[in-house]
Amino acid sequence: MNPLAWRRLGHVFSAESVLDHDWIKSGAQSPAALVLSDRVRVFFCSRGIPESDGQVVSRLFFLDLDPQDLTKVISVSPGPIAPLGGLGSFDEFGMNPLSVIEVDGEVRIYYAGWTRCTSVRFNAAIGVMVSHDSGDTFHRVGPGPVLGFGLDEPFLLGSPRVRHFDGVWYMWYVAGKRWLTSGDRSEPVYKLRMAVSNDGYNWKREGRDIIDSVLGPLECQASGEVFVHQGRYHMLFSYRGALDYKTGHQQYRMGHAVSDNLTNWTREDANTGFGPSGTGWDSESVSYPNIFRVDGFTHMFYQGNGTGATGFGLAQLDSQNGGS
Amino acid sequence: MALTWQPLGHIFDPTEHDLPMGCIDFAQAPQALVLTDRIRVFFSMRQKDTLTTYLSHIGSVDFSLDWRSILNVANQEIIPLGQTGTFGEHGIFPMNVFQHSGEIYGFTTGWSRRVSVPAESAIGLSISKDSGMTFERVGQGPILSATLNEPFLIADGCGLSHDGLVHMWYLFGQRWKLGSESKQPERVYKIGHATSSDLLTWSRTGTAIIPDRIDSDECQALPTVFSADGRFHMIFCYRPYEGFRTGGENGYRLGYAASKDLIHWSRDDPAGGIDFPNSEWDSKMRCYPNVVNVKGQYFLLYNGNDFGRRGFGLAQLDM
Repeated sequence: MNPLAWRRLGHVFSAESVLDHDWIKSGAQSPAALVLSDRVRVFFCSRGIPESDGQVVSRLFFLDLDPQDLTKVISVSPGPIAPLGGLGSFDEFGMNPLSVIEVDGEVRIYYAGWTRCTSVRFNAAIGVMVSHDSGDTFHRVGPGPVLGFGLDEPFLLGSPRVRHFDGVWYMWYVAGKRWLTSGDRSEPVYKLRMAVSNDGYNWKREGRDIIDSVLGPLECQASGEVFVHQGRYHMLFSYRGALDYKTGHQQYRMGHAVSDNLTNWTREDANTGFGPSGTGWDSESVSYPNIFRVDGFTHMFYQGNGTGATGFGLAQLDSQNGGS
Repeated sequence: MALTWQPLGHIFDPTEHDLPMGCIDFAQAPQALVLTDRIRVFFSMRQKDTLTTYLSHIGSVDFSLDWRSILNVANQEIIPLGQTGTFGEHGIFPMNVFQHSGEIYGFTTGWSRRVSVPAESAIGLSISKDSGMTFERVGQGPILSATLNEPFLIADGCGLSHDGLVHMWYLFGQRWKLGSESKQPERVYKIGHATSSDLLTWSRTGTAIIPDRIDSDECQALPTVFSADGRFHMIFCYRPYEGFRTGGENGYRLGYAASKDLIHWSRDDPAGGIDFPNSEWDSKMRCYPNVVNVKGQYFLLYNGNDFGRRGFGLAQLDM
């Protein structure tokens, strides 16, 4: 196939866009669009000022875009859309990243919740929240994770992307494979996996890594975003090296795979059609794609340099070159 | 009809034996496996990790079939702890051993330390291929872990093979709550129930199945289920959510429930006969029960004071 052809529409939002905000102080990560009848609402993650222990945690927010110009922000939620989890809960120390989906008038957010450990720095599991007012307010379905650790998924479940095709719920997510030690810092290796469900709550895991690694066994993969394009299923995802990934050539970049059945994927990174811009906020790294359709066009939010430290921007699949 | 137990005394004190891996104290949560010529009792022993923390390892001791002689205390590692960052990295406590389809399995409770609360846990599966000498873990992750409504502290699995299904009773955390005086995180946990046909995928009830006797903060732990006299019996231990560590009035004690179908349980502690007379070693608490059938006779293993620092004792059911 021909590579996907993306046209950059511009930088949309960063923490610097709202300097006087009480909560949004550092980064704007994991953009996730909810297309409503009169607007496009984008959920995202950001970090606030340090907590009492000196550490920062990630929380979920949303902003609304001008329907006439999807790079123009109209309003930003004044506070997080949900509190962190309670004492000892899987999501006590952060929520990041997220996926939003509307099915039959109910909006759900799936997110990775973070806890802190003593041997390694952290662990994560996947939670779910529901909204019955079109994404204005959310409540947790339960205090625990909707996808927790399993026999061959022993730690670090995160980066959920939930989609609904032909009446079936699909979740692409990340599962930890092993912990590496780099200096005095622990770093996880994680791969993309998937699960299916009839209700979005009870999940049957595929039980294997679904995307080949091009960087070898230490490649880390995340944010498997699946969409339909020209009669096939496409996945855009992010991948990086396991160590020294903050800058340089081990940073997150976009990967691409195709499938005819949503389960078996063929990796075709050459067809991603999207990379760092070379200048500005997304010059070095692009990651965490979020695909949505509005006004008949396929759009993509993505985060820029520093895994979204510079915020996120928008691109559109070019209709002149095989897009629609 | 109420059960009656005869105490047979304190039968194992870990300080009187050489334990592997530098463990000197504790023989907690005794779990019996009946072999042809002996009864092997697995327990959790503690290795000092730092000044204030321990790693729990599984040990075992072999008794003659009449419980009168100790034949051997294992001097090797029975099952390794979990890999870094996984659910059993900081200890296994307990390991419930049961036989199903001709194999010897263990349900391990694996512990991993947390920053805001002391620890998190989940239940793993292990299998023995040398007649119960050592166990290999099945997978690096758990078979039973936190879910939407059982949000943390999944532990103390007790297996029972019945009518082609494996039943597991276990505990799940309901909440972490700051102690009224200590201001430290204290856990509240209840007993739940799950069934499986393959030991890997479990169908969970998702609710607490044993009514509270103290109050809604009652902690219920380590169920053991056995069939006798046409009914099913469960013995477990319970305590208030705080103030329990020194034993006495607020220490762990044994509880009891009965069932005709393994699903519906009626709690009736006095009918369990578990308030049998105590001795010095179990004067302040009784916890971590395990009932085993040896040639038609039922025996209750349990820990005494200080959560089993000085090992476990035995009682026998009057038939």
